[in-house]
Amino acid sequence: MLEASPDEIYDIELEHSLLEANAKLAVENRAVLDRHGITAIDFMGAIGSGKTTLITKMVERLKDRLGVAVFNGDATTSSDADAISAQNVPVVQIATINGCHLDANLVGKGLKKIELEKLKLIFIENIGNLICPAEFPLGSKARVVVVSVTEGPWMVRKHPHMFLGSEIVVINKIDLAQAMEVSVEELVDDVHKLKPDIKVIPTSTKTGAGLDDFERALLAV
Amino acid sequence: MHELSIASGLVEKLLEFSEKNPDKKIVEVRLAIGELSHIEEEQFRFCYEAITAETPLEGSTLEIEKIDAMVICPHCAYRGRPKYWDGALSGIPVATLECPSCGKASEATDGKECAIKSLRFTENTALAS
Repeated sequence: MLEASPDEIYDIELEHSLLEANAKLAVENRAVLDRHGITAIDFMGAIGSGKTTLITKMVERLKDRLGVAVFNGDATTSSDADAISAQNVPVVQIATINGCHLDANLVGKGLKKIELEKLKLIFIENIGNLICPAEFPLGSKARVVVVSVTEGPWMVRKHPHMFLGSEIVVINKIDLAQAMEVSVEELVDDVHKLKPDIKVIPTSTKTGAGLDDFERALLAV
Repeated sequence: MHELSIASGLVEKLLEFSEKNPDKKIVEVRLAIGELSHIEEEQFRFCYEAITAETPLEGSTLEIEKIDAMVICPHCAYRGRPKYWDGALSGIPVATLECPSCGKASEATDGKECAIKSLRFTENTALAS
């Protein structure tokens, strides 16, 4: 093998952000949404944290008052989209084919698939994953992280980055906190240590606790 | 494994460069990756190696410069390194957005980068001679 000697190696400057392509598409999505007066809210969280159930509950409460649609990101199945379809609101399933996050391109395609005229609110359910989606803005106005007490006491500390880029945190399944021996207060405290101004709402979709607060927070976005 | 999609974006950009400049062979790619980005260096290197195999980029190396997180506080005008949460878990301290000076919410100004800074290449003609 022939190797170049150092004096035969040249440099060029090439300032190019690797996240820019997605960020630009996110800005475009946002412009489309703004033009139609639609607020999109992105839900992130682990598999089983309760994202789909929480979205379903909110759709149930809001659908008669304003136009709601749901985008469901899922790696392979349509089970979440099917569950929400029962609410008779527009649902767009976005299969990432084993991809670990939604991106702005996929959401942009989704926006072309539905009639935007009658909508006021779009909930975007990201892939169940606590790391990857954080790097990929979608064009939503706020990001919600859903964690549940069943994920254990270190949930927030283990995935700090996810919270830094979000506006609302839901701590779900608080009806199981005692059985799990997890302190909800400590989880709330952990989130505030990372980001003091973030809104944290403890909820239980089973008992209905916190759902009024969460609804208010979504409408205030 | 979002490292894979980011590495794919990188390789796409580099292959574009190679196509436009067939006389240049990329030997090193210099990246800037911020402390607050979610990119795991080892996984990123692994993905890069895997994707570049059997392409004109095969054998090129990644030089990764880490960019420190910096925050600015809209409440007290603090500007500097963030507050770290020591002992959050037994691992490395976690950067937070709590202002080190007043304790309110600060905003990150640096540390989210994920960018190609520069390329090092050889002239293919030089190699041939």
